[in-house]
Amino acid sequence: MASIKTILNGYVRYKGREGQMSFLLHRITGLGTLLFLTIHILDTSTVFFFPELYNHGIAIYRTTLFGIGEMILIFCVIYHGVNGLRIALFDRYPHLWTIENARKWSLSTLGLAILLWLPVLVIMSRNILMHNFGLFGG
Amino acid sequence: MTTTTSAPERKVTVPRNYDLVAWKWMRYSGILLIPLAWLHVLIQDVLVGVHQIDLDYVTMRWANMSWRIYTASLLAFAFAHGMNGFRQVLLDYIHGERARRFVSWLLLIAWIVITAIGAIGIIGGVRQP
Repeated sequence: MASIKTILNGYVRYKGREGQMSFLLHRITGLGTLLFLTIHILDTSTVFFFPELYNHGIAIYRTTLFGIGEMILIFCVIYHGVNGLRIALFDRYPHLWTIENARKWSLSTLGLAILLWLPVLVIMSRNILMHNFGLFGG
Repeated sequence: MTTTTSAPERKVTVPRNYDLVAWKWMRYSGILLIPLAWLHVLIQDVLVGVHQIDLDYVTMRWANMSWRIYTASLLAFAFAHGMNGFRQVLLDYIHGERARRFVSWLLLIAWIVITAIGAIGIIGGVRQP
């Protein structure tokens, strides 16, 4: 196995610009989502195996720290979807795979993901402030 | 100097093996997961919110068979997509043939076990404590 140091060094030094940025973001967002998904399958299965534990697990998710993590998770799900769609579209129409297009579209997918994320950020921040800090009549 | 940027047309013969199946699975499940996972996140995290979710909420929701099937398809598509993606990431850094086989089998077993746990949870449903 290539050493972690070599891998990380490569990522930092390789000047792949927008394409490399979207490659890294696609990996990080995918792995992040998988990490939560694995935990989420197990916590949900407690409704059958250990039903008395389920509400305890949810209580952890309701904390502010996990609430912030939840917002980051949703960005991961949105970005991974938008960028995955871009890759699928480019593969379907290979003439799109030019360096200029890849750069332009990489930034567009990031922009679109952030745009879709902003309303989520507002609603979920409001939920946290309402339930965990007693604001907005919570 | 010309400014053509598109690469010349090239033909590639793709071997018909397991990795071709896995690749196609990633594409189709990925496209399917955009409505499936996004709607799930929109409903549960944004519109309902974790502060309204508890054992009774799950009981109420899974009383409807359609939502149970929805949850089951998320389990089937999202987790398989994720585990195969994880395998592809790991195989980028692991080059020995034996280590690759070992990692692939390990992930396959983990995928089957965790999927089975999730599936039993969905089929069994909420047991009142």
